[in-house]
Amino acid sequence: MSPNKNQAVNEFNQQVKAVSLWADAWKRLRKNRMALIGLWIVVIFAVISIFAPLLPLLDYTGQEMHFTNMPPSFRTAGEVALTQVDKRVAQIEALVAQGRDDLKPELEKVKTEYAAIRGEVQTNPGSKNVYILGTDYLGRDLLSRTIYGGRISMLIGLIGTITAIIIGVIYGAIAGYVGGRTDNLMMRIVDIIYGLPYVMIVIILLAIFSREGSSSIFILFIAIAAVSWLTEARVVRGQIISLKNAEFVEAAKSMGAGTGRIIFRHLLPNTLGVIIIFATLSIPSFIMNESFLSFLGLGVSAPLASWGTLVSEGVQGMELYPWRLLVPATAMTIFLFAMNFLGDGLRDALDPQSKNRT
Amino acid sequence: MGAKARSPWLLFGMKPSRGVLATGVASLRALPEPIRIRAAKPMPEEKDTMTKFIIRRFLSLIPTMFVIITLSFFLIRFAPGGPFSGEKNLPEQVIQNMLKKYHMDEPLGKQYLRYFGDVLRGDFGPSLRYKDSTVNELINRAFPVSIVLGSTALVIACVLGILAGITSALKQNKWQDYSAMALAVVGISVPLFVIGPLLQLAFAMKLKVFPVAGWINGRAGMAAIVLPAITLALPYFAYIARLSRASILEVLRADYVRTARAKGLTESVVIAKHVLKGALLPVVSFLGPSFAGIITGSLVVESTFAIPGVGRIFVQSALNRDYPLIMAEVIILSLLLVMLNFVVDIVYGFLDPRIAYK
Amino acid sequence: MKRILTVLFALMAVTAMLFTSCAPKELTADKADFIMSNGAEPTIDPSLLNDVASTNVGLGLFEGLMQYDPNTNKGVPALAESYTVSPDGLVVTFKLRKANWSDGHALTSADFVYGMKRILDPATAAEYAYMPGMVLKGAEDFTAGKGSFDAVGIKALDPQTVQYTLTGPAPYFVDMTCHNAFWPLPQWAIEKSGNEWTKPANIVTNGPYTLKEWKPQDYIFMVKNPKYWDAKNVKLRGIKILASDNDSTNYNMFKNGEVDWMHGISNSKIDEIKLRKDYQASAQVATYYYEFNVVRKPVDNVLVRKALSAAIDKQTLVDKVTKGGQIPTAAMVPPMAGYTPQQGQAFNAEEGKKLLAQAGYPNGKGFPVLTIVYNTNEGHKAIAEYVQQQWKNNLNINVVLKNMEFKTLIELRAKQHDFTVARAGWVGDYLDPNTMLDMFITGSGNNDGQYANPAYDKLIQDARLAKGADRMDMLQKAEAILMGDAVIIPFYHYSNQDLVDTAKWGGWNATPLGFHPFKYIFKK
Repeated sequence: MSPNKNQAVNEFNQQVKAVSLWADAWKRLRKNRMALIGLWIVVIFAVISIFAPLLPLLDYTGQEMHFTNMPPSFRTAGEVALTQVDKRVAQIEALVAQGRDDLKPELEKVKTEYAAIRGEVQTNPGSKNVYILGTDYLGRDLLSRTIYGGRISMLIGLIGTITAIIIGVIYGAIAGYVGGRTDNLMMRIVDIIYGLPYVMIVIILLAIFSREGSSSIFILFIAIAAVSWLTEARVVRGQIISLKNAEFVEAAKSMGAGTGRIIFRHLLPNTLGVIIIFATLSIPSFIMNESFLSFLGLGVSAPLASWGTLVSEGVQGMELYPWRLLVPATAMTIFLFAMNFLGDGLRDALDPQSKNRT
Repeated sequence: MGAKARSPWLLFGMKPSRGVLATGVASLRALPEPIRIRAAKPMPEEKDTMTKFIIRRFLSLIPTMFVIITLSFFLIRFAPGGPFSGEKNLPEQVIQNMLKKYHMDEPLGKQYLRYFGDVLRGDFGPSLRYKDSTVNELINRAFPVSIVLGSTALVIACVLGILAGITSALKQNKWQDYSAMALAVVGISVPLFVIGPLLQLAFAMKLKVFPVAGWINGRAGMAAIVLPAITLALPYFAYIARLSRASILEVLRADYVRTARAKGLTESVVIAKHVLKGALLPVVSFLGPSFAGIITGSLVVESTFAIPGVGRIFVQSALNRDYPLIMAEVIILSLLLVMLNFVVDIVYGFLDPRIAYK
Repeated sequence: MKRILTVLFALMAVTAMLFTSCAPKELTADKADFIMSNGAEPTIDPSLLNDVASTNVGLGLFEGLMQYDPNTNKGVPALAESYTVSPDGLVVTFKLRKANWSDGHALTSADFVYGMKRILDPATAAEYAYMPGMVLKGAEDFTAGKGSFDAVGIKALDPQTVQYTLTGPAPYFVDMTCHNAFWPLPQWAIEKSGNEWTKPANIVTNGPYTLKEWKPQDYIFMVKNPKYWDAKNVKLRGIKILASDNDSTNYNMFKNGEVDWMHGISNSKIDEIKLRKDYQASAQVATYYYEFNVVRKPVDNVLVRKALSAAIDKQTLVDKVTKGGQIPTAAMVPPMAGYTPQQGQAFNAEEGKKLLAQAGYPNGKGFPVLTIVYNTNEGHKAIAEYVQQQWKNNLNINVVLKNMEFKTLIELRAKQHDFTVARAGWVGDYLDPNTMLDMFITGSGNNDGQYANPAYDKLIQDARLAKGADRMDMLQKAEAILMGDAVIIPFYHYSNQDLVDTAKWGGWNATPLGFHPFKYIFKK
């Protein structure tokens, strides 16, 4: 393809040393501060999730019925609980003082609770726990729930993105490049898959493949992967169509490059920007899609929860227990931010136009 | 049509090309002639190909819809549970009567023929869940609501999204870029079921400037559309902003833009007339399917803001096994989708004359 | 930038104008005296309605022979001026009061006969056809397409008298006539408009209100019916009923004063809502329970079932997890007048361990992993997670939770009986223990756990023909057998949770069936 196989040239027709696409991209990625920060965050998140069982975390299933809905704190659970119940007692006492006699039984109940917690502090080793990010509605540690939730959500994001890129890019590129009848047929197939009632199909898949005792996580991956590539395919196809008559393609053709080579070496590198942007943009929708599918019964079963389910649980009580929303939502948003900056960096780094630019 | 598609480029006297991007073919850039030859093809012939393309493309919609309707009709019957199952099991006789009333006691093939005939006459049948109404009535009342809400949201998303995209592309890696993109990442990584309640809490509960819920036919009037439209627009805004930024960055470096700049055109003219046109392709191919998605309603937004649109009844139709309503959803959504994709394919021709209709 | 913003606002304004110009201003519904958030889109046709939201609306528009008392939900005479029950309890004769339909037609006994005919007619395919089917002679056969309507036990003796003939001396029959399955219907209006008869323009009602406006999925607006026989005691002029199904949104509207009465409270907000003075919680005739598939290992062993029952601390469940005024229980039947619920296995972790050891699993050893299936819901999940932990802690057994959407669960539980432990809930149709017990007879359509005990069946069947204290005694014995076999684990009796400011609104009281007819509600 190049005038001289051993010599690459830059846009000013100067000869430059040939570097592999990836080495070159890595070089440029390293210079992009935001992308590097993104990369580091993603790596840290990945390491934490992979090694979660080795970390000194509280059990994510461990319920402490006396320590439900506790705010983030560095004090021990017993102390925090006493403060919380104290506050509640004061609140109810104030209401009773205003003539709310109907709350007297409730006040008694809370006072009994207070005594019970005092007892717990003496006897229950759980009262020595420190819940730095608070607890949920069953008194489970939100930190470890969020970390374990991240495992499933990040995996979903990864699987969705990989299938979207692999299937979507190949499919879209072939449709766009070959064009004509093939393109029409291939894109109509995409339309058909898009048009079928997704929820019903998931319900049917579940009924067929999910038996008591078996995990449905594999079906979840299929359900996510099956539709993840559709939009990506359309976008890639559009890009390829607009590029395929460009001079550089004609040049490559005239030099005898085969279809595969033209698509993968010439066309796709020029659409990488949009592919990567679209892929990073889709990660959140995969993660949220998982929480909808888990409503249908797909995916991890309670007490394990993904970020999506943690967030949707948290949003219900966000005024009373904001940490139940904020903790998983922040973890998820940080991850998605990092992925986006990393995606931007990759886009810039892999951009053929900036090749050999330093 | 063909003439129209091409003329703007001829007016600018430029070769319509994204430029030479691939490695090693830079020298070709000095040779604009071949392209001029291509652009100067005789008009009638091209017009003819264009018309043929449109007709062929349009005709392919019919088998597509046929396959979607047929597949869906049979698929949904395989889902476990029927429209008449509930916590209390009904006596067999009552179920039999219901099946008979809705012709569900007939062989599935016969039901299918009956259904297809009805649909061709524009009759979607009775709703099995909303027993006072036919599916046509439900849709006639709910669809306009979703269209108004969806279009408002999409207009907001498009205008703000493209603005944000332009701003960040022009100010690449400056604070404007980072803040616009951060907003976009927030818009797509925070799920609708969090944004909706948050906006509701802030603007309806605390500031009391908008109603908590309800539609614009209520006491609050037009104010009722603001929060749901913003909620619905946010993820689309994010997509559009990121996509347009990425493709504007690419187009900015294309030679025809350089040419335009070199000719001394002011920056705003270059952006508005040359850059945007080329850069909007990925946005357009994204907008096609999303327009179908956005006007067929969102369960989350409609539920959060108590809006009588189609999103709620469509999602619930699957959970209720309301077969006629599910089918209506499938038909409307896929009809919109294939039509919009058809339009997108045509629009491609206007936006990018490099696309040849073969 | 500025120009684009201008364009944006212009576009929005145009959309706005387009919309306002084609939708007429709805001034009427905005002037409603009372706004209720109903939690779901209702069905209006009394023959077809089948849920609480629809019943709420129906109770405003229609009225039967008896009406739910606003305090107790027992039946009080409404269209019936008086009634007599024959000594054997099989024939009930109602004398009608003079009343009219909203279009001026006189209301006669023929309207009751027509209403009954319509709901039983196989062509109507009404879900609640089974309700008269349970008690009324010949009704079940007619619905099955066997025999003519003449054989059904309902007769218009004269325009003011309607007589019912029953299959057995059902003491709850008179109260049952509050139910929509027994309401009169306007034959002329239904025949004139067909399926369209429930539209505001066509509908004819006999209740305290008429349907003024109906925006599906949005709201219903009812106005006072001047032709109603007791119109002088109807206080509210216009009632708006919202269909919004989002608990959080409804609560926000309530807090903002946009709603006067709402039903259904999100568990995540209960700590706050509980302290409000307009929070109303009351016991309901309904039980939340887990059912065992009694033919499946390992829960085919009664000792295992008892052990599992004994290992759940229900008091803590209600205090710490559900928190909404539910009543922890070990019985299926909630407390009712003249009936003592029979308690099954109480919470006792030590005893649970012993029972499990007796069943052959000392300290949970060798016990297979148990799966609990439940339908996806915030509340069901919390309970399942709690139970899982209880069984782990108290019996040292492992439990897997499996959630699914509602219809899939029903299919699995009721049709295929493919479960080991499943979440279930039962809401009583009427104020009688029978409504909570007769589903456990062998082969019953609702006997998902495939329990079969001839002694139990016999007691329930005998009770159908018995009366008074004898009958209650039989039912108590039956429940004792049921709980002794530990066929289910009852957790608690549901509570109705509502938000309504009773200092402002009179005639609204916490009731066991959760019915609050609009007729009685007034502004203080």
